[in-house]
Amino acid sequence: MSARGRLFGWGILLVPLAVSVALFVGPLAQLFMISLREPSSTELYGTGWTLANYTQLAEDDFIARIVWRTMWTSFLVLGCALAIGYPVAWRIARMPPRKRSLVLLALLFPLMVSNVVRAYGWVAILGRRGVVNTTLQQAGVIDFPMALLFTPEAVVMGLLTILLPYMVISIANALATLDPRYEEAAASLGAGPIRSFIHVVFPLSAPGVASGALLVFLLTLSAYVTITLLGGPRSKLLVSLVYDSVVAFQWPQAAALAFVLLALALATCGLILAVLRPGRVQGGAR
Amino acid sequence: MNASTGEADVVLSRVRKSFGAVVAVDDVSLSIARGSIVSLLGPSGCGKTTTLRLVAGFERPDAGEVSIRGARVNDVPPYRRDFGMVFQSYALFPHLTVADNVGFGLRMRHVPREERRRLVAEALALVKLEGFADRQPRQLSGGQQQRVALARAIVFKPAVLLLDEPLGALDKMLREEMQVELRQLQQRLAITTVFVTHDQEEALTLSDRVAVMRGGRIEQVGAPREIYERPATEFVAGFLGASNFLDAEVAEPGRVRVGGAGFDVPGAAGVPGTRLRLAVRPERVVLSPDGGEGLEATLRDVIFRGSTVHFYLESAIGPLLAYRQNEDGGDRGLRPGQRVRCSWSPGSAVVVAPLGDATR
Ligand SMILES: Nc1ncnc2c1ncn2[C@@H]1O[C@H](COP(=O)(O)OP(=O)(O)O)[C@@H](O)[C@H]1O
Ligand SMILES: [Mg+2]
Repeated sequence: MSARGRLFGWGILLVPLAVSVALFVGPLAQLFMISLREPSSTELYGTGWTLANYTQLAEDDFIARIVWRTMWTSFLVLGCALAIGYPVAWRIARMPPRKRSLVLLALLFPLMVSNVVRAYGWVAILGRRGVVNTTLQQAGVIDFPMALLFTPEAVVMGLLTILLPYMVISIANALATLDPRYEEAAASLGAGPIRSFIHVVFPLSAPGVASGALLVFLLTLSAYVTITLLGGPRSKLLVSLVYDSVVAFQWPQAAALAFVLLALALATCGLILAVLRPGRVQGGAR
Repeated sequence: MNASTGEADVVLSRVRKSFGAVVAVDDVSLSIARGSIVSLLGPSGCGKTTTLRLVAGFERPDAGEVSIRGARVNDVPPYRRDFGMVFQSYALFPHLTVADNVGFGLRMRHVPREERRRLVAEALALVKLEGFADRQPRQLSGGQQQRVALARAIVFKPAVLLLDEPLGALDKMLREEMQVELRQLQQRLAITTVFVTHDQEEALTLSDRVAVMRGGRIEQVGAPREIYERPATEFVAGFLGASNFLDAEVAEPGRVRVGGAGFDVPGAAGVPGTRLRLAVRPERVVLSPDGGEGLEATLRDVIFRGSTVHFYLESAIGPLLAYRQNEDGGDRGLRPGQRVRCSWSPGSAVVVAPLGDATR
C-alpha cells in the first residue's frame, strides 16, 4: 500500500476509533479504577485504593462455586449448540441457494421475539403448574409436580433455544461458501466422506465454527434475563452477582466481579481461537 | 485407430450425461492407452470438464460405461477410483502446508510417516519445489501452486492422472514452459493422463492423441499431426488453427475445380459435379505471379508478424489467407492490389465434412 493509501486507511478509521475510545475504552478504564477503590457506606465508592475487592473474591467459596457454574453452563451451552448446530448447518448448506436463504431467514425469526417473552414461554412450559407437569400428572405418570424450572438444565435449555440460530447461521455460511472442489480434491486423494470431513471440511469451516462459538459463548456469559427467569435464586451465574452487587450499592465489588467476568471471557475466547485456529484457513481456493 | 483395449487404462464407451435439458456429454467413446497422454480439446462448454468428471466419478453417466484398468467403475465412488487430479483452481488445502498437501493421498492410503516424508520430498523434487515443504499454499505464486497440485496428484502413483486446464491461470511464458515440463514428467513417469484444454497449441504440444470435442461429442480423435494435417471436419480444421475453406466440385476422381482452376486432390471422390468442402492451411498456399497455374486472386493486405508474413487475398470464391515464413526480412516485393495465382501441393487440400453435418 502507498503512504497515501495508508494515511487514507487511518483517516477512515479516525471517527470510529474516537467513538470507541470515548464510549468503550474510557468507561472501561473508569470501571477498572472503581474496582480498585475502597467501599463506602455513603458514596458509591470510597476514596482510598485497595486490592481487597479482588482478594475477597478469590477467598470466597460461594464466588468460586458460581464461577465454576458459569463456566460449566457456558461450555455446556456451547457444546450442545455445536453438536446440534453443526449437522443442521451442514444440511442447510447443501440446500439449493434460494431454499437456503429462506431457511436461514426462518432461523432469524425467533430472534425477533424478546428474550423476556421467550423466557416466560419456558416458565409456562416447565413451571410447577406448567404444561409438562400438568400433562404428566393428568396422565398419572407422576403424583407431584417435578422441579423442572429453576434448574441448570432449564437455563441451558432456555439459552440454547435463543443462541442456536447464531451457531447454525455462522457455520452454514462457512459451509455454503466452501468451494466444493476441496471435497472433490480430498476424494481424488482417496478420502472417503468421513475422513474428508475430519481432514478437510471441518478444518475449513473453522472460521464459521469459531465465530459461532464466540457468539454463543459471549452471549451466554452476558445473558441475564434468561438465567434469572429460568435459573431462579439457586442457579445464579456471574452476571447475576454483578447485578446483585450493583443494586446493593457495592460498586467496587460489582466492578471487580465485572473484571473477573471479562477475564474469563477473554481467556475462553483465546482458548476457542487457539483450538480452532480459524486464521490458517484464510487465503481461499487459489 | 484406438489402442487395443487390453492395455487401455481408461475406456469410455457410449457415455452420456445431461444436466436437465443440457446434454453435456453425448455418446462419447474413448480409449486411453496405458502410459499415454490424451487431450480433450474444444471450445468452452463443449463437455470437456464433464467428461473428465465422469472418469473421476464426480458425475455419474446417464448411459454408457466408464472403465479404469479394465474394471467398470460406474458405481465406484471417486475415493475408491485410483486417480490423481489437478483442478483448474488447484484446490490446494489452505490449512495444510505444502508437504501435508502433497502427502495427503499417501496419508489416506496409510503410508507410514517416514516413507511418506521420503515420497513427498521426491515428488517435490520432481516438480522443482525442494525447500518449499513447510510453506503454506497462500505463500506461493500461481506457478508454484500449480506444481504443488501436480505433485499432490502424482505422489501416490495413481493409475490415471486427470488435468482440467491446469495451466489456464498461468501467463503465456510460464504456460509454455510448463507444457514442456509436464510432457517430460508424464513421459518419465509413464502415467496415463487425460488433459483438458481449450488451447489447440497446448493440446498439440502435450499430447500423444487429441480428442476434439464439440457440443458434447467427440468430433475426431488422432495424433496431433494427424488431426492438424488431416482434419475430418471443417470444425476440427478451423479449431486447430487458421484454414482456408473452399467450395469445390469434382471434375474427375482425384481432381477438383475451384473457382475456375483445377487441382489434384487425392481424397476427392464421387461422380463429376459432386460438391465438396476443402480445407487448405494458409502455410500451404503458394503465391506465384499472375499468368501461371492456380486460382486467380488479388492481394488485399500484407501483415508483417515477425517470424511470419500474412497475405490477405481476395479470389472469385471469397477471401484467402496465405502465410510465408519470414526468410528474407521482407514481403518478396508483393504489394497490395497486385494480381497473383494461388496454388498448393496435391496433398495440402483436405476434403472435410462441412460445418453443421458432422459426419461420424
Ligand atoms: N453441474 C452442472 N449443472 C448444469 N449444467 C452443467 C453442469 N456442469 C456442466 N454443465 C453444462 O454442461 C455443458 C458442458 O460443460 P463443461 O463440461 O463444463 O464444458 P467445458 O469444460 O468443455 O467448458 C455446458 O453447457 C455446461 O453449462
Ligand atoms: Mg471446463
